[in-house]
Amino acid sequence: MRVTATEWLSPRQLSRRRRTFFSGVFFLTSLAVWFMADLMWRNGMAATDWAPLVLFTILFAQIAVGFMTAVIGFFMLNRGGDRKRIEVTLPPGEDLPLASTAIIMPVFNEDVSRVFEGLRVIYRSVQETKKLEHFDFFILSDSNQPNQWIQEEVAWVELCKQVGGFGRIFYRKRRQQINKKAGNVADFLRRWGKSYRYMVVLDADSIMTGEALVKLVSLMEKNPTTGIIQTAPRLVNGETLYARLQQFANRLYSPIFLAGLNYWQQDEGNYWGHNAIIRVQPFIEHCALPDLPGSEPFGGPILSHDFVEAALMRRAGWAVWLATDIEGTYEEGPPTLIDSAKRDRRWCQGNMQHSWLLLAKGFRPTSRFHLLMGVFAYVSSPLWLLFLMLSTLQAFSLARQPDNPLRSEAFTSLFGYQIEVPEAFTLFVLTMLMLFTPKLMALVRTWQDKDAAEQFGGRSRLLLSALLEMITSALLAPINMLFNSKFVVYTLLGHGVSWVTQRRDAGDEADWREAILTHWPHTLFGAVWAASSYILVPSFFWWASPVMAGMILSIPISIFLSNNSFGRRALGVGLFVTPEESRPPYELRRLTQNLAECYKHLQPLEPLRTDYGLLQAVVDPYVNAVHVSLLRQRKPSEESRDYFHSLRLRLLRDGPSSITVKEKMALLLDAESMIWLHEELWRSPSHALAEWWRLAVRQYNVLTAAPITALYR
Amino acid sequence: MEQSVDSIEVPLSSFRPRTGTMEAWNAAYVRVEDYLRAHRIHNRLHQSRIIQLVLERAARRHEADPSLEPTTLAAQEMDALMDEWFAQVIGANSEVTKDRVAIAGRVALLLSEGPQKWPFSFMDPANVPDDFRKAMQTSSMVAGPNMNVSSMVPREIDLGALSEAAGETLERFEKWPLLRTLALWLVFTGTLAAIFYYTR
Repeated sequence: MRVTATEWLSPRQLSRRRRTFFSGVFFLTSLAVWFMADLMWRNGMAATDWAPLVLFTILFAQIAVGFMTAVIGFFMLNRGGDRKRIEVTLPPGEDLPLASTAIIMPVFNEDVSRVFEGLRVIYRSVQETKKLEHFDFFILSDSNQPNQWIQEEVAWVELCKQVGGFGRIFYRKRRQQINKKAGNVADFLRRWGKSYRYMVVLDADSIMTGEALVKLVSLMEKNPTTGIIQTAPRLVNGETLYARLQQFANRLYSPIFLAGLNYWQQDEGNYWGHNAIIRVQPFIEHCALPDLPGSEPFGGPILSHDFVEAALMRRAGWAVWLATDIEGTYEEGPPTLIDSAKRDRRWCQGNMQHSWLLLAKGFRPTSRFHLLMGVFAYVSSPLWLLFLMLSTLQAFSLARQPDNPLRSEAFTSLFGYQIEVPEAFTLFVLTMLMLFTPKLMALVRTWQDKDAAEQFGGRSRLLLSALLEMITSALLAPINMLFNSKFVVYTLLGHGVSWVTQRRDAGDEADWREAILTHWPHTLFGAVWAASSYILVPSFFWWASPVMAGMILSIPISIFLSNNSFGRRALGVGLFVTPEESRPPYELRRLTQNLAECYKHLQPLEPLRTDYGLLQAVVDPYVNAVHVSLLRQRKPSEESRDYFHSLRLRLLRDGPSSITVKEKMALLLDAESMIWLHEELWRSPSHALAEWWRLAVRQYNVLTAAPITALYR
Repeated sequence: MEQSVDSIEVPLSSFRPRTGTMEAWNAAYVRVEDYLRAHRIHNRLHQSRIIQLVLERAARRHEADPSLEPTTLAAQEMDALMDEWFAQVIGANSEVTKDRVAIAGRVALLLSEGPQKWPFSFMDPANVPDDFRKAMQTSSMVAGPNMNVSSMVPREIDLGALSEAAGETLERFEKWPLLRTLALWLVFTGTLAAIFYYTR
């Protein structure tokens, strides 16, 4: 049943918009393919030439999609914005009655201070709208580390005490982490979904203002056929140069892309997994995820759930909108290139799974297109690599021929007219235009508006920042291509990717070890490619040198961009400044201040740090009581009683290093054990306890002299 | 001046353990003190009153059975006294079983901020102000609202003929590791052959 509203655009108008968009993509791709084919045809099209041409067509189409999105977005924004946006349904000042809304934050071993201080800021911000009674807040924990779990519980109690949030801020820890984030959300919906009309899904690093949340609920109320409204979160709080570059690019370039997306997507948008509002009932009815054929990595449970949920919502006839200009919605990006790659590794597997669903029955064509673009976001990397390699081999083989066809006379020809520009150069310029024009359009648009430019640090700094960003992104592109190619291949082979353990306490100092061990294959690949090209075909070497440079310099680039102090220095001189930094919103200011306070707390002694959560749950009478109260009461079997008894004794006599993390989690899940451990620890004479516990009892009172809190780093 | 002379004439409490070593009783003292501090009872005067009461009771039990550790006895007495006090303060709450009274009591104490707001009342049965008692009794920690269970069952999804066929093939491959290895080698040799053909 199709329940989406039709008052927006008539099917004819919508198909006209889509025809414009996809015709543009088709035209640009055809033009580029024509140049490419013509270039290859000069020496006769061999059977082996078809492979690079097909690859080029696929890859160029992807570039053309981005270019057309930006061009249309630029055009729409210059016209004063698209009138067909979900936001325009809510006139300014209109105060609609709201409906019950759950704000859910699924967490998995996150920085507890960041999670709860973020939630505090959101809660306070909603409170200030005077509409708090419509909102409930849920921390849905899947954390499987003892420290994280206990800290979350303590932080939750403290937050509720401090803001009077009992009965409005809830905490739920799952015993079994089935189906990751999608399973976590589904578990929430099964327990409490019926009590709410809407849910707003947040990530652990999301911030949304009360105003934005109220607006989203109002928009949903105003548009009863809408199933999901996805906001466009802005990247904030970046400290390293890498994070600051990403947030600068996101802030400067995204408006035109978002406007372009809204132009052709309309009510068939996508869901990005967080900072979005969802109508609960249709979500429960239609968006439970089926398993895919086969097992992981390709099959099994769907890892990247968001695109699929949007497609299922659309299939059921509910509208999915992208709210392009709702203010007050933020998220944080990965701090380093390697962290970003780690995230991509997870996303890669999830997106590649979507290949199964491309032909699923009942999906809307737009949903299929979203899924396809998701697959291509990763698959395009090995295709680019293959294309580059085939081009290199072709260049090498052509160079070996006595009548070298790589000559300057290969001029561009257009409708039979010979233009005295080398054809390869024309193609190169066309590609560069497609890649950089969107950025230039966004830059020009901001530069023209003096106030907007001021928010980016002023016109000259904006210009310089954008220029540096373009150079850096050009250098990063080949590194990401190699990363993603590896992820795709490993996923296809069913293997995981191993990572170097990062030194987290390095502060401002660069972690050279991690960078070298992660990037040396990139450097080697680039060096071999560059050397062989330079020897065999120097002209090709110079053409491909920007790509090779990124690979060869990957280690220093990664180190340079990961450094906090360079990020601070850039901010100091006004480079890569975003409006959220030049005029920080109240909520972000509060978050920064609160976190600074949290991180001032004294850290536990080094030997106690690893198991501090367990320590608190056993030693501290309050933490123990809170923890036990939150556990479900169970009657253990005789067998499990014996198991737990031996485990408890081992823990007290030999210390926490004598049991595994899994055993610690098992003890923490058993209420009887936790009560027993607390009583027994305080009753046992010192000589009966492990040295670790003796130290714990001696030190604990020093650390808990201040009001109880786990909010330290 | 006269007043202070009078106060000096007041005798100190005559309590001293008759059994056990001084070292063992000092350890018991420290343990009770640590436990009180873990409860955020930082008022020294109040701490010492409780410690003395606990140690007196522990000492009596130690006289009866000197084989027991004073630390253990003191901790047990502390727990017993605390259970008694919690039961008295939070009242006849039918939801709290006897073995969980300390848990419920501590949670109530934490939420009402008893040690900070009423620093002299902890474990003093005769001196529990009404507002403290009320704060303890009314404090509640709700981790989740009442369940409102719904069923969220994945609907069958028709992947289309092509995906279904590919899925079935994949599942068959997974069942036959030999077939999987063979296919992998086929792809590998095919790629090598293509490269050879392309570069020859």
